[in-house]
Amino acid sequence: MIRVENLFYTYDGEETPVLKGITVEIPQGIHLGIIGPNGCGKTTFVRHLNGLLSATRGDVRVEGMSIKDSSDLYRIRQLVGMVFQNPDNQIVGMTVEEDVAFGPGNLRLPAEEIARRVREALAQVGLESYGDKAPHALSNGEKQLVCMAGVLAMKPRYIVLDEPTAYLDPSGRKRVLEVVQKLHTQGITIVHITHHMDEIVGADRILVMDRGRIVMSEKPGIVFSKVAFLKNVGLDVPEMTELMWRLQKMGNPVRTDVLTLEEACRELNSCLTHAKSPVGRPV
Amino acid sequence: MVHLGQYIPRSSIIHGLDPRVKLAAALVLSIVILKGDVLTQCWITAFLLILVPASRLHPGHIRTAFRPMLFFLGLLFFVHLLFTTGTPLPPFPPWRVTITYEGLYTGVFVIWQFSLLILSASILTMSTSPGELISGIERLLRPLKRLGVPSHDLAMMISMALRFVPTILDELERIREAQTARGACFKTGPVLGRMKATASLLIPLIQSIMRRADALAIAMESRGYNRGPRTYMHELHMGRKDYLALLIFAGTMGLEVGGRYVLSNGFG
Repeated sequence: MIRVENLFYTYDGEETPVLKGITVEIPQGIHLGIIGPNGCGKTTFVRHLNGLLSATRGDVRVEGMSIKDSSDLYRIRQLVGMVFQNPDNQIVGMTVEEDVAFGPGNLRLPAEEIARRVREALAQVGLESYGDKAPHALSNGEKQLVCMAGVLAMKPRYIVLDEPTAYLDPSGRKRVLEVVQKLHTQGITIVHITHHMDEIVGADRILVMDRGRIVMSEKPGIVFSKVAFLKNVGLDVPEMTELMWRLQKMGNPVRTDVLTLEEACRELNSCLTHAKSPVGRPV
Repeated sequence: MVHLGQYIPRSSIIHGLDPRVKLAAALVLSIVILKGDVLTQCWITAFLLILVPASRLHPGHIRTAFRPMLFFLGLLFFVHLLFTTGTPLPPFPPWRVTITYEGLYTGVFVIWQFSLLILSASILTMSTSPGELISGIERLLRPLKRLGVPSHDLAMMISMALRFVPTILDELERIREAQTARGACFKTGPVLGRMKATASLLIPLIQSIMRRADALAIAMESRGYNRGPRTYMHELHMGRKDYLALLIFAGTMGLEVGGRYVLSNGFG
């Protein structure tokens, strides 16, 4: 469990804090989505989760360890892995294998253990045969999978994803999201920042952030039913939700708590069937 | 694409040796080559010519290593040929310059020396992957840690510099294309204009490198990097074959010294 208690953060040389009192609990095993307009403090917030930034006021505790205690940072960084936007700026090794070995090497594990973890991590992201390849020869999607393997090799309990698909093409995005899903089912806690609402319709909970505060913390179905609220903050809803919302606005009796294509199909199908049947509503 | 000595993956005895053995041998060879005389050169030439097939390298590989150095070798030869004083050779009719016997001799000798240096360096880099080379250097420098040489950090820096060469070249190409699209000209026009255009590439490039460095530092910190000792997946181990290779190398160098002694003093 990660507990965030009344977290404030002000960047050096600035007056107004970027984070203004964030309190949240992230239980083990959850898939947590974070959305919010640019500049709302999402990235600043998650960088506290493994102590990359240190709270100006308030505290973050990872399994009881405070990020302010520098002797625990080492352990916290092993427990909380982080994947960033641009894969090119995360890969340090000259080969895939060497890059995945970077984290375990920092943990000072013996050579055989590092080799085993590298093998396992590459298998988990589906890049078993990529060990000897040079990173620049890979696609962006593959590079991002290498970054995820690099995090997995440290055997984390939490993985923070800061817009991991921002630089990827649709197929790369799909592969990364599949791995994220798989890791979640294996019990790893996922904290996932994104601008693509479709990526987190399956999350357990979504935090909506605006101007340094959490303005909503609910299940996806509830969050995305507040279309007007989200639009006011400057956010989109999933395309299918938007479709139903507009149909309803045009006077159609459709439900708007629809998130995925499958749900939309089912809802529209049932509406159309009703419309066709003689006992249904008059057209 | 820039590679460190163009590593050529093969499965040869030389490829399989511990990089430390190869590094040490290359270092000793360079010193011997620079200090030696004609006899030494002959001996080392023979030794290196055996190493080439032993590393399963083709003459073609060696040619690619020499090609970029040809101009330098030529220059070296002519400088020695023309600027060494001594006994003049019989002058060729069309030439106004005097060429000395010593000049010809030193010229040939110096390019021979440099060719041997290039050859031994290319055998090293062609038979050892950059990763192995770096861990070899790191391991050899480790004892210097007590003197404050940060061998881990050095190794990390070299390997990251190599890792980012292609990334930064790509970036440069993108910036160049972006500026060409807005009418900048890098290939034609007055020299001064082209120089200015090239300079205008540098500022965005440096800016982008700085931004990258920042992001990279955060990513590395997040993966638990700090300036302490770390461990590696491939720790180097000196095996029996590595000690044997060292012994053979030492023997070869010893024979050279011994042979010279015998030649100059006789068996008496």
